[in-house]
Amino acid sequence: MNWPSFLNLFTAAIAAAVAIPLLLLLYFLKLRREEKVISSTLLWKKAIQDLQVNAPFQRLRKNLLLLLQLLVLILLCLALARPMISYLGSAGKTTVILIDRSASMSTKDANQGRTRLEEAKRLAGEIVDSMGRDAKAMVIAFDDAAQTVQSFTSDRVALKRAVEAIQPTDRRSRLKLAFQLADAQMAFLPEQNRPNKEPPDVMLFSDGRVADADELSLKGMLKYIRIGQGDTPNIGVVSLSARRNYERPTEVQVFARLANFGPAPAKADVRLSIDGKPSRVGSVNLAPERWNDAKWLQKNPGKKADGFAAQDSVEFTVELADAALLSVQQLNNDDAMPADDMASVVVPPAKSLKVVLVSDGNYFLEKALQTLPLKEPGTLNPAEYEAKPPEDADVIIFDRWMPKVMPQAGAFIYFGSVPPNSKLSAETKNGRVVTVNNPQILDWRRDHPVLRYLSLSKRAIAESLKLIVPLDAQVLIDGSEGPLMVLYREPQRTHLVVAFDLLQSDWPTRPSFPVFLNSAMQFLALTSQSNARESVAPGTAPTLERASIMQADPKLQPISLLGPINATVAIPPAGDVTLPALDRVGVYQTNPPIPPFEKIAVNLLDENESNTMPVDVPPGHIGTMLAVGASDSRLDLWWWLIACGAVPLLMIEWWVYTRRVHL
Amino acid sequence: MTLADSQTLLDTEFMARLDQLDLLSRKVLAGKLKGERRSKRRGQSVEFADYRNYVVGDDLRFIDWNIYARLDRLFLKLFLEEEDLSLSILIDVSRSTEFGNPGKLMFMKRVAAALGYVGLVNYNRVVIAAINDRVESETGFMRGRQKVPHMIEFLQSLQPEGTSHLAGACKRFALSHRQKGVTIVLSDFFDKGGYENGLRYLAGGHTDLFCIQVLAPQEIEPDLQGDLKLKDIEDGDLAEVSITQPLIKRYKANLNAYCLGLKEYVTRRGGAYLFTSTAVPFDTLVLNYLRERGLLG
Repeated sequence: MNWPSFLNLFTAAIAAAVAIPLLLLLYFLKLRREEKVISSTLLWKKAIQDLQVNAPFQRLRKNLLLLLQLLVLILLCLALARPMISYLGSAGKTTVILIDRSASMSTKDANQGRTRLEEAKRLAGEIVDSMGRDAKAMVIAFDDAAQTVQSFTSDRVALKRAVEAIQPTDRRSRLKLAFQLADAQMAFLPEQNRPNKEPPDVMLFSDGRVADADELSLKGMLKYIRIGQGDTPNIGVVSLSARRNYERPTEVQVFARLANFGPAPAKADVRLSIDGKPSRVGSVNLAPERWNDAKWLQKNPGKKADGFAAQDSVEFTVELADAALLSVQQLNNDDAMPADDMASVVVPPAKSLKVVLVSDGNYFLEKALQTLPLKEPGTLNPAEYEAKPPEDADVIIFDRWMPKVMPQAGAFIYFGSVPPNSKLSAETKNGRVVTVNNPQILDWRRDHPVLRYLSLSKRAIAESLKLIVPLDAQVLIDGSEGPLMVLYREPQRTHLVVAFDLLQSDWPTRPSFPVFLNSAMQFLALTSQSNARESVAPGTAPTLERASIMQADPKLQPISLLGPINATVAIPPAGDVTLPALDRVGVYQTNPPIPPFEKIAVNLLDENESNTMPVDVPPGHIGTMLAVGASDSRLDLWWWLIACGAVPLLMIEWWVYTRRVHL
Repeated sequence: MTLADSQTLLDTEFMARLDQLDLLSRKVLAGKLKGERRSKRRGQSVEFADYRNYVVGDDLRFIDWNIYARLDRLFLKLFLEEEDLSLSILIDVSRSTEFGNPGKLMFMKRVAAALGYVGLVNYNRVVIAAINDRVESETGFMRGRQKVPHMIEFLQSLQPEGTSHLAGACKRFALSHRQKGVTIVLSDFFDKGGYENGLRYLAGGHTDLFCIQVLAPQEIEPDLQGDLKLKDIEDGDLAEVSITQPLIKRYKANLNAYCLGLKEYVTRRGGAYLFTSTAVPFDTLVLNYLRERGLLG
């Protein structure tokens, strides 16, 4: 129920302004008394004194009279103001209450700092209160799924309890399932099968932002109660992607787009956090999204400011070799909806590589590989390799051996050899490979991830190949006689060619060598997997493969899900494990970490759901809309004010007056 | 003094009935002159009172010789003396006595006339004083039936004036009339200064005090209504009242308490009290009530 509003406030104010001072003035006037001669005032005065002594609240009573008269007057003025209460139409015989609990319903723009969902629950409670004795109702809560919270019943307490128990989610709204559920439940009612049946009322409490408005159909009479204000400020992250640079795989580019669903242009700072630690801050300048809405522009001509310099996206570039959680958060506090303020992506951890060394035997290389955190370093001699080239290796190292066959895709490192059938080749003369003696290292790409932090000066190289470098290859080390290290990418293969034989140099004995090898491995591995893992939408229930679980924890202890929703999932004797639906946005972790769901980012990233402007037409144009405040029923209260307020007060006043004596 | 005038206060038929009455005093008091009433003194009446021993100088005529013959001792026979009775009538003539219908002053005059008549006829010494805040006027001592017209004339001449102040008036009267006897006070006793001080002068061992409180029916049952400014007829004092049932009830309760207080005060000092309304026929009052109270007999 709403607070009463007044139809005639101005007249009442004038009446009160005249009548109340007049009453007070009358109180200041003295009563004109008739003079009467008596033999002695002795006993009269004594009687008056006695009465006053016997009535300790005599003075109060005098004031009480004034107070009562003032109250009567105020009530009469209030009645004159014609107070009335608007209320939603009462519930019919059969009512289905649909309550939207999606992300947009968590917007705090209802009265007294309530969220839309709380307001919807309050209004639904009123509907339940207005139900007749034999009326039935059911409650369905929906987001992108629908749930029968309470099936048809006449028990108002149960209905109210069911309404109160509805909890918000950060999921999107889809009505189709809810309508289907409502229709199905209505079909079970015996009275619906009678001829001349009256279709049940379907009360929809929502802001109308549903994703599937075009696909809806309903048998009942839809009454759409629009919840929410049109001018609620909200800035939301509507898209986020993180991508590794193709050229420089340790470099991650984060791209976020924001939208402003408020009524006025807004600025916002956008903060990028890596694993929760603030890293960079950018800013956006957003035009209201409604400026792009043709219908809104038609209704509000001239509201759009021309020439607004909008900047709706930010881009950050960060160096990231390892796994990380990247979060983008808008920092404008003037925001009614928290679910879309932050979005996160999980950049996967550095992959544990499977490396195969093809060599006749290279002590230094084998030792160096053993020190690296590799999955299963394997060594093949060239004959074994030629017999069966490994298909699943991430990186294959060819040591002084030029293979005849190559896997279709992958990353390859060559020491003292070159890839076959490639534009990158070694210079030959008369069918023999040309070698150069004692080449000197002149310069190297110190900023390249492969060579970063290395010092290669004063390295002694006895002999090296003379490389023919195509234009699109990248020379990493320049020698006095030609390039000594080249990175060359083909569509599916990446080649890192070192022109000299390691055993013909002193490099393997230097600390820079294992560092190089590590950097090269990571670089090549990242090249193969350059995209960050996508985030999931609220409501997703990820499925963990049994093999992954077994690998992470062979004891198969229950898995804990930590995050906005905490849960513990027991592992069944067989089959995969499905986590509970991740209804709230945020970052979830599995404990023990189960790949690939060590961390799960749940983001809203939905323009429709982030749009806090309620829709004025019922979804799918079915039924009628009852906006709150413009309700269809009105109750005049003036009669009640006079009958229940002023008249009893007047009677009390008369009683007090007759009981009263004053000098 | 004409007969008609006297008739307004006392008519002949009533006087005839009064002739049969006499004043009674509950106390046996000493008088001043020889009269028809037993006195405290021993004297020469026929009524034997007591014996006493003979002392030298006693009149030998009163020695009881029979006893002397029997006991051989001299005893003197004592007889009661008969003297007159002093009757003082104080009549309140303050302005409050003109209030009421029938008027209080007229009523009091008639009572005073009746009592004075009885006193005179029975050869008592009668003095009538008009008091308000002082002794306004008084008759002086009167004795015998021939003083009745004088008394009536005096009473007729009384007019309401002045304010009540019993204390002052009674003090003056008591100081100037020290003789023993019956004192009758006729008043409404509405004295803002209090009646106690005044009556204290009058009550005491040497007088038999008799207070007759005369109130008008309008004072006993006020017929007031509405919001009024009540004006005191004597001092012009104002009381603004809105007449309500509780107020009337309270007034009556106060009046009752006031009269009871007066009665108790008088009785405690050996006096008698009589309350009357002016609506009561005054002959009934005199012939019945006063006889019942023992003033007349």
